[in-house]
Amino acid sequence: MSHLLSFVQWLNDTPLSVYLRESDWPFPIIETIHILGLGFSVGTVMWVDLRLLGLAMREAPVTDVIEQLEPWAIGGFAVMFVSGSLLILSEPLKCYNTLAFRIKVVLLILAALNVLYFHKRVMHNVDDWDRNMPWRAKMVGILSLILWLGVVIAGRWTAYF
Amino acid sequence: MTFGKIFPAWFFWRCENTLPGSWFKHAQWFFAIDETFHIMALGMLIGTLVIVDLRLLGFGMRRQSVSQLAGFLGPWTLLGVASMIVTGIPLFMSEAVKLSGSSPFFFKMVFLVCAVTLHFTLHRKAIASSTRQGSGLGKLAACLSLMCWLGVALAGRAIAFL
Repeated sequence: MSHLLSFVQWLNDTPLSVYLRESDWPFPIIETIHILGLGFSVGTVMWVDLRLLGLAMREAPVTDVIEQLEPWAIGGFAVMFVSGSLLILSEPLKCYNTLAFRIKVVLLILAALNVLYFHKRVMHNVDDWDRNMPWRAKMVGILSLILWLGVVIAGRWTAYF
Repeated sequence: MTFGKIFPAWFFWRCENTLPGSWFKHAQWFFAIDETFHIMALGMLIGTLVIVDLRLLGFGMRRQSVSQLAGFLGPWTLLGVASMIVTGIPLFMSEAVKLSGSSPFFFKMVFLVCAVTLHFTLHRKAIASSTRQGSGLGKLAACLSLMCWLGVALAGRAIAFL
């Protein structure tokens, strides 16, 4: 048995995990919070992405869109991360064995790398972007849209597989 | 309260068991795929509403004016609502009989009607008369709008559990 699987097995047997799994209310409540967090995080990130691509809010400076929406996206993501961790904790073994969930984790890691790349390598000349949007920024925007869309789809399908 | 107490039982039965409802009900994966689109539309819809309503409350994109933001995002909000309804109707038809006895579904529809009505009346008026400093009317409209849409989302989620 792999180390990861024995860890998941152990997690599955912890009292908190059993409690979350066996009582009626925690799962629906946490899942509702998770979905509302989705509205805030993906719902704000996608406008930053669409702005990078020049498809929405074109009259607003790029820096305005990024700076003013990013705190809400991060806040929404924090809510999703905490509530999502609890959802995983409620059924660790099921998640481990679900293909959709594994895909979701990979997509999340790629999305995080994309954000990191954006901040470290792409954003340094952001003040010039209103005149000339670099192709790297557009690429980050497209990737972000695709990856988050994938995260939402894989997340929803975790319930079915 | 449920729709089953307002409309006759045959209506729900026919929705579910005649075309296209019967197809929605029996086609493998249809429900899962349609629900995925429903959730994606929700993400887009809530995002646009939250950005405009936060701005009315004086948060978020403060460097842009309310009317500017509403101009950018208004069409996307409508597209979001339209996609929610288009993807939502088959979800309803595929389990109409169950939903006729569901009180969360009833309240979801009540919140939805309130939210859409508010969007085209008070909310629109608040955006049209908005100023740089913000107004009481704008804050009231934003709070009511956020509460109605929150009600739609919460009641919608509760359909699966109650």
